[in-house]
Amino acid sequence: MFKKTLFLLFVGLLHQYNVHAQPGYKASEIPTPLLVRASAVIRNMETNVDMVATDQVIIRIRKTVTILNKNGEDMAGLVLSYNKSRTIKAVKGSVYDADGLLIKKITLSDFEDASAASDFSLYEDERIKHFTPSVNSYPYTVFYEYELRLKQNLVIPDWYANPYTDVAVQKSSYTFSCKTGEKLRMKAYNYAGKPLESSTPGMISYTWDVVNLPALKAEPYMSSGDNFLTYVKVAAENFSYYNTKGTYADWEGLGKWIYNDLIKSRQQLSPATIAEVRELVNGIDDPKEKARKIYQYVQDKTRYVSVQIGIGGYQPISAENVHYLGYGDCKGLVNYTQALLKAAGIPSLYCIVYAGSFKQNLDPEFASMNQANHIILCVPFEKDTTWLECTSQVTPFGYLGDFTDDRTVLACTESGGKLLHTPVLTAEMNSIKRRAQLTVDMQGNITGQMKTIFAGSNYDNDEELLTKPYADQLNLLKDIYDIDNINFEQLKIAQNKGSAWPLTTETCNITIPNYMVQSGNLSYLQLNIFNKTRSIPDLKERKLELYLNRGYSYEDELTFALPENLKIEYQPQNINMETVFGDYHALITFKDHTLIYKRILTGKTGKFPPKAYAEFADFINKAYIADQNKIVLTLASSKK
Amino acid sequence: MKTTFTLLFLFFFCSGSIYAQNFEYGKFTKEELDMKIYANDSTADAVVLREFGSANIDLDNYTNESYVNFVYHTRIKILTKNGFNAANFVIERYIYDKKQDEISEIVATTYNYTDGYPKPTILPITQVFTEQKTRYLNLTKFTLPNLRPGSIIEISYRLRVNNIFNFKSWQFQDNIPKITSTYISSLPAIYNYNISLRGAQKLTSQKTELVRDCISIAGNKCDCSRSIYTMDNIPAFKEEDYMTAASNFKSAISFELQDVRHFSGGTTNYTKNWRDVDNELTSSREFGSQMKRTDLFTAQLPVILQNATDPLSKAKAVYAYIKKQIKWNHYLGKYSEFQIKKALETHSGNVGDINLALIAALSAAGIETEAVILSTRANGLVNSLYPVITDFDYVIAKVNIGDKSYLLDATEPLLPFGLLPLRCINGKGRVVNLKKPSYWFDLLASEKELTRSNLVASLSPDGKITGTLTTYSKGYAALERRQKIAAAGSADNYVQSLAERLTNIKVGNYKIDNIDSLDEYLIETYEVTMNSFDKPGLDKFFYNPYFLDRTTKNPFNLNERNYPVDLGAGVDRRVSITLTLPADYVFAEVPKNSAVGLPGNGGRYQTSATIDKNELTFSSLFTLNKPVYQPDEYLFLKALYSQVIQQQKTDLVLQKVK
Repeated sequence: MFKKTLFLLFVGLLHQYNVHAQPGYKASEIPTPLLVRASAVIRNMETNVDMVATDQVIIRIRKTVTILNKNGEDMAGLVLSYNKSRTIKAVKGSVYDADGLLIKKITLSDFEDASAASDFSLYEDERIKHFTPSVNSYPYTVFYEYELRLKQNLVIPDWYANPYTDVAVQKSSYTFSCKTGEKLRMKAYNYAGKPLESSTPGMISYTWDVVNLPALKAEPYMSSGDNFLTYVKVAAENFSYYNTKGTYADWEGLGKWIYNDLIKSRQQLSPATIAEVRELVNGIDDPKEKARKIYQYVQDKTRYVSVQIGIGGYQPISAENVHYLGYGDCKGLVNYTQALLKAAGIPSLYCIVYAGSFKQNLDPEFASMNQANHIILCVPFEKDTTWLECTSQVTPFGYLGDFTDDRTVLACTESGGKLLHTPVLTAEMNSIKRRAQLTVDMQGNITGQMKTIFAGSNYDNDEELLTKPYADQLNLLKDIYDIDNINFEQLKIAQNKGSAWPLTTETCNITIPNYMVQSGNLSYLQLNIFNKTRSIPDLKERKLELYLNRGYSYEDELTFALPENLKIEYQPQNINMETVFGDYHALITFKDHTLIYKRILTGKTGKFPPKAYAEFADFINKAYIADQNKIVLTLASSKK
Repeated sequence: MKTTFTLLFLFFFCSGSIYAQNFEYGKFTKEELDMKIYANDSTADAVVLREFGSANIDLDNYTNESYVNFVYHTRIKILTKNGFNAANFVIERYIYDKKQDEISEIVATTYNYTDGYPKPTILPITQVFTEQKTRYLNLTKFTLPNLRPGSIIEISYRLRVNNIFNFKSWQFQDNIPKITSTYISSLPAIYNYNISLRGAQKLTSQKTELVRDCISIAGNKCDCSRSIYTMDNIPAFKEEDYMTAASNFKSAISFELQDVRHFSGGTTNYTKNWRDVDNELTSSREFGSQMKRTDLFTAQLPVILQNATDPLSKAKAVYAYIKKQIKWNHYLGKYSEFQIKKALETHSGNVGDINLALIAALSAAGIETEAVILSTRANGLVNSLYPVITDFDYVIAKVNIGDKSYLLDATEPLLPFGLLPLRCINGKGRVVNLKKPSYWFDLLASEKELTRSNLVASLSPDGKITGTLTTYSKGYAALERRQKIAAAGSADNYVQSLAERLTNIKVGNYKIDNIDSLDEYLIETYEVTMNSFDKPGLDKFFYNPYFLDRTTKNPFNLNERNYPVDLGAGVDRRVSITLTLPADYVFAEVPKNSAVGLPGNGGRYQTSATIDKNELTFSSLFTLNKPVYQPDEYLFLKALYSQVIQQQKTDLVLQKVK
């Protein structure tokens, strides 16, 4: 019933193609050093971008890739995205066996069409055409040649010489051409030398190229690829985008255009809405308190729903529309909040940012449109500056969390764009402090109370829990703490959102049957119950810089009341490790049948040379082993 | 548990029409407006107050084609912010023969009870989106405006379903509870449908009446049977880990067209009994005809079979050949998508292409082979009372050699002969034979997830353990490891990343045997060095032998279970350690040898340790013997895992013989 129909019949039989092996497709021609760690090798890739006019950019790509093993399969296929302003003009290709003999020709009809909408969006107009060849033996080689046309030049795709892991590049080049005299800004990152310039009458071209890039392996705790990959950004001063035109040469100009052409017209509110806002803040003098009230109003009224169509990818839906619908995406909700604040006489700044737990800055030296993926609102007050995340219904006023902390963002204003930096969350701020009073009985059962306070980037650790009914919260907590047999009761999660420094306090009663294990006369009690370090790979060779993205500080103090007739048979030594990456302390005190275990782990931020990774792994793995430590108890009466 | 039964068509001749009709849009009761919490489920974030659907067969005036005219209407109370998800609607519109299901009359309104009356916010039609999901499916998507806790949302639309084969199924149970849900199906007497109800919930009422002259087909008036199904107080469906498709458990009613009687006198059978299905399948161009294409292999057979003499080795050779010839395009299907001839040429095909080609090739080699159609785990269980052909989404081969039979699937290159991928281990499959009537066959995993790890090592006075670790794996364990090796690109890469993940164990030389001999044990041999303990001095020391596959997480950590735990295959893991000590030792404490079992020989965990002069031997065994455990066995499973975790915390305490 759901049978796929084949639109075009493959022409001819296989042997008709097997005429001559063509040079450049034979797997054996790959230089041996490029095979190291590689699952696929880009044999040759030529990327030509021709900016014919501001509303016509032609991208022509030819690439040959040899797939060495199953892990390289992702490189065999081709995925082309398109929308109203980006069309696929032509595509063809071919597949060759290990000896470079043609197995199959590929045409557009071999491609399957699909929606490219992301899971978090209600709707996006972005679509893809994709193709994956079927070859069951390795190595084999694919060749593609395709042309894309952009009806805009505001976003010219960045060129990356090799953005992939486990893929080597034999040769790759990027040529950007445009009319002579076109004002361009170009920046090559991690590229030695200057682009090759060439010109024909009326035209100028710039070419960057790389040869013999070995395959890169993804490594744990590596920094953003932008720090070490070779890539080129090009931005045109005069641009078209859907039905608008504009000019910018720097962040100031770009921010100005965004505000004046995309946002300003979207901020009108009806007189009724304005009256509602004024009524809302009536009687409040402090601007910050007014803003707090309005933010609460937005959170109660709206929710995040993403719809991306055409210019709507950059332009918010109107504030009045959000007011009516009660939903919008990040742009729409920030724009709406900004409009409401304005109605109450409070100025604020629409800021574009690259969001994600992994921090990424806008490049202060190079303005371009494709460096951000999110919008937040900055509200400058006399004494401090408050930042608002407008897509959440629960985030405290002024709290950004680890989604947009510590990074360079662009504030878009009527008079021009301005680079700002969001607040830093320090290791001390990102804390988890836990206290537990536990009683251990002779059967090894534990009962007790636990209180945990989360702050900074950990403030929202329990947020998912709070979206669930109480019974599900208890089950989910079992998953989070992941302790065999544990049961939680009297769980309370209190969030202190009002203060300058929001905290989440989790309190609960716990029981853990059979936690302390008996074997003969001995009882084994593992001391660290709730917050254990995971081990990390101990790499043979580390190639990339070690990068620690965000600091943290964890403190656990567990008090065990032990049965009176047990004495300690074996006790692990106290541990104190202090390193440039962080500190670890595990201290045991035992007095009057009460054992206190205190464990402190702090992690620092920073960049370190590749060889530092071994020391870092040693630190973390020592902490991992120390977290498994147990004391061994024996009956006080038993004689040895 | 699944309860499938056929609803009998009983025609009640009523004096008047049964009272059941759509409820009035936007007209609320005081209880609905005032509701703050749903009394039957205080944890509900949203609750369906009323839901109504009706479907009838209608005729297109222009094309004269029949279609299903479906009307849907629901009213939902949003109780908390977490309930906002209940306001996201995705309506599936299928495309058959280039014609798509059409949606119309969409009305969506949010009512907020403020200032003493329910104030409506109407969803503008510009906020209704259509996404072309695949060639066969469009999605109409929207979400409700102006939501807040306490909102009532109301949605209605009409859908024209062009394919009448499955009429229009109705899902009573969903992820949020429902107070009442009513469905009316109106089927012209000439259309005969199989109707099945699935799930644990019972209908509150079910009535059927005859409606005279309800439809006019080609000038002939026809009566309809109008059935009204109502279910009240439907609890929310909660998914659990280790369960098969949720659709097996959610209460729903579904239809499949059996036959259509024509006014001219004839009858067109769509599905009647297995004999009809057998005929249909064996004569189908996409099924039976493909099974018969033995001619495609005659030329190649001498080469494929050159080293094979007996039937089993022939079957293995053909199986290996097909796996290499056609790469799976990741589409399921019991039918051939491209015809196997084309699939062999392009080296690409769906499940149907690959396994029908396998059947044809095996038959060509003179091996008795049948087709087995089945439903994958994600697709749910099949109806075993009568054929519901659309339930089946997969086909495999069944090879009969002597009195043994083997189930084969050639879509996964790394599967050994006779082992099915887990997705196929789902109840029963129907064996389709070109000459004989079809029959049911249990889809069982032929092998367990099996590993044997042996460490032979010696402990040096400075506390280092040096030795050789050999791991034998078979069944799903071997499949998983072979898939990892393939994904790593090479055995070197696989071992390197394995070594990097083993904290405290250093891996030296290694050897992996039988990577490509899929029917044999995968044998991994590693030279290893590890630290044994942290306390220097060897008069007395603690040794923890659980260095491999340490279990820290209990996968069955909850206190109750509603649905069976379906693992698909059993588990068998054994570890043995032979450790040579630097001197003669005895146990300072007699170790607790663990031995616990599940009831009915369902599984076992056992350890034992002995010491003889300077040689320590330790062994452990963990087995799960059943592929499926019932909900009342859940707590035993939990206890078994708990025992493993507890045991692994204990050490062996050794004392030097003075």
